Amino acid sequence: MSASGRPGDEAVDRPRQGTAPLLSARGLRLAFGGVKAADGIDLDVMPGEFLAIIGPNGAGKTTFINMTTGYLRPQAGSISYDGQPILGLSPRAIVARGIGRSFQLPQLFTEHTVLENAALAIAARAGLWSPLAPLLRPAWRTEAMAVLDRFGLAPLAGQRADALNEGARKLADIAMAVALQPRLLLMDEPTSGVAAAEKMGVVETLVRVLREAKVTAVFVEHDMEVVERFADRVAVWSQGRIAALGPPATVLKDPAVLRDVIGIEPPTGPPAGLPARESGHA
Amino acid sequence: MADWLADNTLLLGLALLDGLAYAALVFMVAVGLNLVFGVLRIVNVAHGSLFAIGAYSAASLGLAFASAGLPPWAGYAALVLAAALVGAVLGPLVERLVLRRIYGQEEVLQLLVTFALFMILEDVQKLIWGVQPVSQDLPMKLLGTVDVPFGDDVIPFTIYQLFVLPGVALATLIGLAWFLRRTLTGRVIVAVTTDKEAAMAMGIDAARVTLLTFTFGAALAALGGALASPTTSLVPGIGAQTIVLSFAVVATAGLGQIEGAALTSLLIGLGRSVAVYFAPEFEVVVPYIIMVAVLLVRPQGLFGVLETRRV
Repeated sequence: MSASGRPGDEAVDRPRQGTAPLLSARGLRLAFGGVKAADGIDLDVMPGEFLAIIGPNGAGKTTFINMTTGYLRPQAGSISYDGQPILGLSPRAIVARGIGRSFQLPQLFTEHTVLENAALAIAARAGLWSPLAPLLRPAWRTEAMAVLDRFGLAPLAGQRADALNEGARKLADIAMAVALQPRLLLMDEPTSGVAAAEKMGVVETLVRVLREAKVTAVFVEHDMEVVERFADRVAVWSQGRIAALGPPATVLKDPAVLRDVIGIEPPTGPPAGLPARESGHA
Repeated sequence: MADWLADNTLLLGLALLDGLAYAALVFMVAVGLNLVFGVLRIVNVAHGSLFAIGAYSAASLGLAFASAGLPPWAGYAALVLAAALVGAVLGPLVERLVLRRIYGQEEVLQLLVTFALFMILEDVQKLIWGVQPVSQDLPMKLLGTVDVPFGDDVIPFTIYQLFVLPGVALATLIGLAWFLRRTLTGRVIVAVTTDKEAAMAMGIDAARVTLLTFTFGAALAALGGALASPTTSLVPGIGAQTIVLSFAVVATAGLGQIEGAALTSLLIGLGRSVAVYFAPEFEVVVPYIIMVAVLLVRPQGLFGVLETRRV
């Protein structure tokens, strides 16, 4: 474990300050009727970092992921990835650029085994669709098993995906995303539905694998312990805007965040005020 | 009961043999309908038109081959060729020009659009082939008949209906099950059926899979029609009769069930055939009596699992 004490830090490329952002969103706006799901979102995600997004339900967290991955088109603003604009591209084209995503509910193919799920991701990445070729060809089987092994899922490879418990389903879902070899992975509540007893184990596993694979991650999370332990920075979403952005140690002590997002009354004392936004990041 | 059986052995035998051949044809159409519904989530009423156009095309092509002096066995090639042509031409045309515009729309709208398409294609058939019966039974006559012993009786039955039709249906069943469960393309089709959004998130070209699946389903319907063409005179309305029976099969089996569709086709084919010989006034309603009886007891169908399995 490194000095910071974060699991998986040994293999990580720490967020590279001063380098160009991997993902950059500017002025994103999107309203559903009178509800502003994005009201001027500016955000940079740096290569190698783990950015947590927190905020109350309906704040626009998932909307941001949907806009970034091509599922929703903002009414205004721009998004660039690796210096290239990606707005208007289809979800499939965005995946091909190197942006993966996982959903709040694991999107596993329940008719398939865990191994087939991973192999499908590898096949999709390879872009090969020979009509009568087997899915589990030796090279893909080997690679799929290797991916599953990294997530501790190898013993479950032969099980149908709908037979997994929630923790394993979450890991399998993210294993599929990792099999696509993304450089940036956006995860919508990767621990939702996972039993409290296995939550930290699930997160430690996925953080370790993502760090090893040098994947930059943005994840929506409601568990502040997870955010504090695993995020490099945290962005607080509120009514379609970023209300605060910075290291968890700072942001999670902010009285407004404690009161409005976490739902606890801040300790009395001198007002701390909102942390300043970090220049160059958002 | 024993006396009744002794008196009706011949009719019962004929009913069973006819039912088997009929079930094979219904299965070909129903399994394509099922596959298309699984991926497109559209109940395609126009599927019956593809059966009818497959039948008419096969008959026309067979007659053309015969007129051109080709050997009689070329009639079998005409059946396969007609099905492939109808699937390859009409399949992409219908999917691209019509169905693609109504994905995700309300079911009522989808039903109306595919019904309108069905009506248009019915008129296209009348425009091309007229309303007089069209017949090309050479492929069936060519193979001759075989004597099937049944009790003390012998039933001469066409080899085409006894072996070719059930054989092709069985090969389709086995081939389709293997294709969907073992091959890359089959697994991708099942993945899109299970969760289209997740498939797209993975980078799978869902539009391409949809087109491929619809074309394949259309070819299966056309193959059913082509295989049926030597066994009957083709008249306007055969598409409607077939699609309604196919719906009954799919609903009775449960959506997404391949093996279930085969067994249900057999059940409904035999039920209808027995009615034809023993209670002709019930011929039309027997399949639906079976369907309603099953759905009252098992709304998900005989082999369906509620909201889990679609292919």
